[in-house]
Amino acid sequence: MEHFFLNIAHSLIVWLMGLGLSSKGADLVLLIVQWICIVAIVTINVIVLIWLERKVAGFMQQRLGPNRLGPAGMFQTIADAIKLLTKEDIIPSAADRIIFRTAPIFFIIIAVMLYVVLPMGDGMQIVDLNVGVFYFISVASLSTICLLMAGWGSNNKWSLLGAMRSVAQMISYEIPLAFSLLGVIMIAGSLSLSDIVAAQNNIWFIILQPVAFITFFIAATAELNRGPFDMPEAEQELTAGAYTEYTGMRWALFFLAEYTNLVAVSALASTMFLGGWHGPWLPSWIWIIIKTYLVMLIFMWMKWTFPRIRMDHLMSFSWKVLIPVTLANILVTGAGIQFLAGMGW
Amino acid sequence: MKGQGLLKGLYITLKRAVGKDITIQYPEQMPYLQDRFRGCLHFDYTKCIVCGLCTKACPNNVLSYESRQVEGSKKKELVSYTIDLQYCLFCNLCVEACPTNTLYFTHDFELSRYQRDQIKIVYEIPKEEPSAVKVDLKGDAPEPDETKKEKQLAAMTAALQKNPQKTVRKMVENDEDAEILAGILLEDEQKLSRMAALMIADREKAKKVAVAFVNKEKKDRLKGGGAEDESK
Amino acid sequence: MLRTEQFTINIGPQHPSTHGGLHVEAVMDGEFIVDAIVHLGYVHRSVEKIAESRTYPQYVPYTSRLDYLASHLPTLGYCQAVEKMLGVAVPERAEYIRIIMAEFSRIASHLLFIGSCAIDLGATTGLIYCLRDRERIMDMFEMTSGQRLIASYMRIGGVSEDLPDTFIPAARSFIADFPEMIAEYDGLIIGNEILQARLKGVGRLNADDAIAYGVSGPNLRACGIDYDIRKAEPYGIYDRFDFTVPLAENGDSWDRLLVRMEEMQQSIHIIEQALNQLPEGEVKAKVPRIIKPAEGIEVYHRIESSKGELGYYIVADGGEKPYRLHVRAPSFINLMVLPMISKGGKLQDIIANIATLDPVLGESDR
Ligand code: SF4
Ligand code: SF4
Repeated sequence: MEHFFLNIAHSLIVWLMGLGLSSKGADLVLLIVQWICIVAIVTINVIVLIWLERKVAGFMQQRLGPNRLGPAGMFQTIADAIKLLTKEDIIPSAADRIIFRTAPIFFIIIAVMLYVVLPMGDGMQIVDLNVGVFYFISVASLSTICLLMAGWGSNNKWSLLGAMRSVAQMISYEIPLAFSLLGVIMIAGSLSLSDIVAAQNNIWFIILQPVAFITFFIAATAELNRGPFDMPEAEQELTAGAYTEYTGMRWALFFLAEYTNLVAVSALASTMFLGGWHGPWLPSWIWIIIKTYLVMLIFMWMKWTFPRIRMDHLMSFSWKVLIPVTLANILVTGAGIQFLAGMGW
Repeated sequence: MKGQGLLKGLYITLKRAVGKDITIQYPEQMPYLQDRFRGCLHFDYTKCIVCGLCTKACPNNVLSYESRQVEGSKKKELVSYTIDLQYCLFCNLCVEACPTNTLYFTHDFELSRYQRDQIKIVYEIPKEEPSAVKVDLKGDAPEPDETKKEKQLAAMTAALQKNPQKTVRKMVENDEDAEILAGILLEDEQKLSRMAALMIADREKAKKVAVAFVNKEKKDRLKGGGAEDESK
Repeated sequence: MLRTEQFTINIGPQHPSTHGGLHVEAVMDGEFIVDAIVHLGYVHRSVEKIAESRTYPQYVPYTSRLDYLASHLPTLGYCQAVEKMLGVAVPERAEYIRIIMAEFSRIASHLLFIGSCAIDLGATTGLIYCLRDRERIMDMFEMTSGQRLIASYMRIGGVSEDLPDTFIPAARSFIADFPEMIAEYDGLIIGNEILQARLKGVGRLNADDAIAYGVSGPNLRACGIDYDIRKAEPYGIYDRFDFTVPLAENGDSWDRLLVRMEEMQQSIHIIEQALNQLPEGEVKAKVPRIIKPAEGIEVYHRIESSKGELGYYIVADGGEKPYRLHVRAPSFINLMVLPMISKGGKLQDIIANIATLDPVLGESDR
């Protein structure tokens, strides 16, 4: 079980080489297969996640959540997807058509790109970049541009307000997000995600870096535009924020991308802090799934409990609280590492 | 300490999430309705004394009726009574005004209809038989009274005896089956009267019974046929 | 320096948090509100004009539809106004039943206020919990009047029917469970630091402005002015009950929320007393079927509704129908301070302000 997927990949390569392909060509085919797998994983995950989110919200509100279609309402999301596909695709006449159309596509592409560096199990990583964490953060920050494109392109005041909010928010929270990961990177001594997982063989970084975990979690919530930091969408204020003018599948793509981001960031959190794929008894890829889903459940739990924070509080919280705390954390971590090194550890 | 309130909120939602749900699964499970619940307004034509108090009390002109003078007396009698439910405020004023409890609210709250004219409830009282009532609202037809029923039954029985094949043709698949059914009914008095009653009261059920009769007869014939063969 | 521009944005009438058709035209400078103009009338149903074509008893169901969140209160005000015209004395038991119903309506309205305040600030779950408990009050209304939301239970001269046997146990069990509910809202909504940060100091209304604008009800008491018509000019039998009028100081959104929380407890206190004192007897006075107040009678009657001072001004012309009826709707007048308290705030603050002013559009647009 442990090497189930690796074995599949290996036998695929062997078979391809047997067909007379060079090893480079076989690798290329494998890469394509991996990409298809990622897209499939993303879509299935989103279908499950939307269902899960509705169920979680339902249970918290003492309801049942979706329960009509399929076992425990499992197929509700699929029905919704079909509904969205058949909806009329409306583009406002005053919209900037190119930007309006491309924004959701870029958004989902960027979301899928995040998966390249995530280790989904022991040795299950598409590319083991030696700057994996850096890659992740920089790609994740690109999604701001898509929201801005959506807001600007729709030519709607609500959308523009949502887009401006998202830019302000994402830029402010990128910094604490990166800073809180720095502590982990310093301890692991590497930017590569597989090295960081390997460094957690004995002890998870959540124990060594509890403050960093909390700040990371808060900053990630803001990065993901999830409640209580769902400023760009802010249903009760901005109707639907940057997505106001989107209909049908374009809107669904935004939705898809948001959940894809959620999975990616949760997977990153479990990789950086919760020991990645390490865990007893079960195969490594099951462990990462369990941990990712646990993190996501906490995200949902927070979203359905808290009211939305106010824009200026959001900004001042980032600049006045999160960034100083993360900086202090880096300082303490660095001092600790030096001290322990001096002790001869 | 800051953050305590947040944690408490998280605790409350978690507690509720693992606790029991409180919703009713509506079409399968019906809500409990209190005795006085005002669902759909109903009219009991037998009691109405045509006093007009209800229409006077109604704020929104929901109620209206047509009446005529009973010949040779001062009394009026009802021709038709209309409740245009789409304008009803469900305020109970008409029910309170009515001296004979003719109007009352039922617990039926599923009042949506596909067409606008289906909302209107018209109670028509035929001239000859003032008690037989036609109701436009589905499902709530008052039972026709005994004499009328008997008349209908007699007519149906007569038709069945006279021309059975034609009468039962609509109940079964094909002409052959109709013939079989007719044969069964003519043979058995009891079955005939039962069928006649069913055809008046409940067509669907009558059809089912008819098919059952035919099938049983066919089976019997097959068996009988087999027995004949053996005997030969 | 880049050139910046102000822009106008229409909040409502089709907007998730405008409580059913409020239209605010906001002039914005980025996220800041420069000016706000309240446009009313989106759900105008000419309820006042309808009164001129309805007889006095026939108008009762329409009053329920003014403030549909606390439907017993406007009906109570109207019935009392007509009783005042006719000089009818209401039986004791009916008076008590009216008080019980009115206070339950107040609680129902405030529960929805707290819930909608939570959801307008983004906390969906808070609303569901409030609605869950409000349902119990709705069940009690269904028991007594047969309708849940728009009860039309009061009649000129009393109430339409006596309380059913099931009512008093249900009311007592609600009272018994009430502290638990309050604790839950305290934990989930009131105690939440994010919510406090969003409401404290937002939409501050000072006492002088409040009086100048004619603000009434909990919004006025949140500014620290001790004015409650139940105390100042007791109508019905309110003078027999012991209760306090909760006050706050700052007049900001947070105070408006707290005052209402406290008011619910006082209402429970009143209901408890009323249930204990409830006498036996008739529930409806003998009122002629055709009500014809003499020509020239004018009456203004006001009650403390859940939103503020609800007044009815009725002029009779000797016929079966009022010559003119005017409703002093508290929501309408309270909404007029919205531009003043929202100016200089942020877009999110105006949402909080609308939520905590607690307008009900059925009443303000009429
Ligand atoms: S319930 Fe009210 S509105 Fe409806 S028919 Fe009766 S009196 Fe008219
Ligand atoms: S008040 Fe009653 S008895 Fe009189 S007309 Fe109406 S329904 Fe008939």
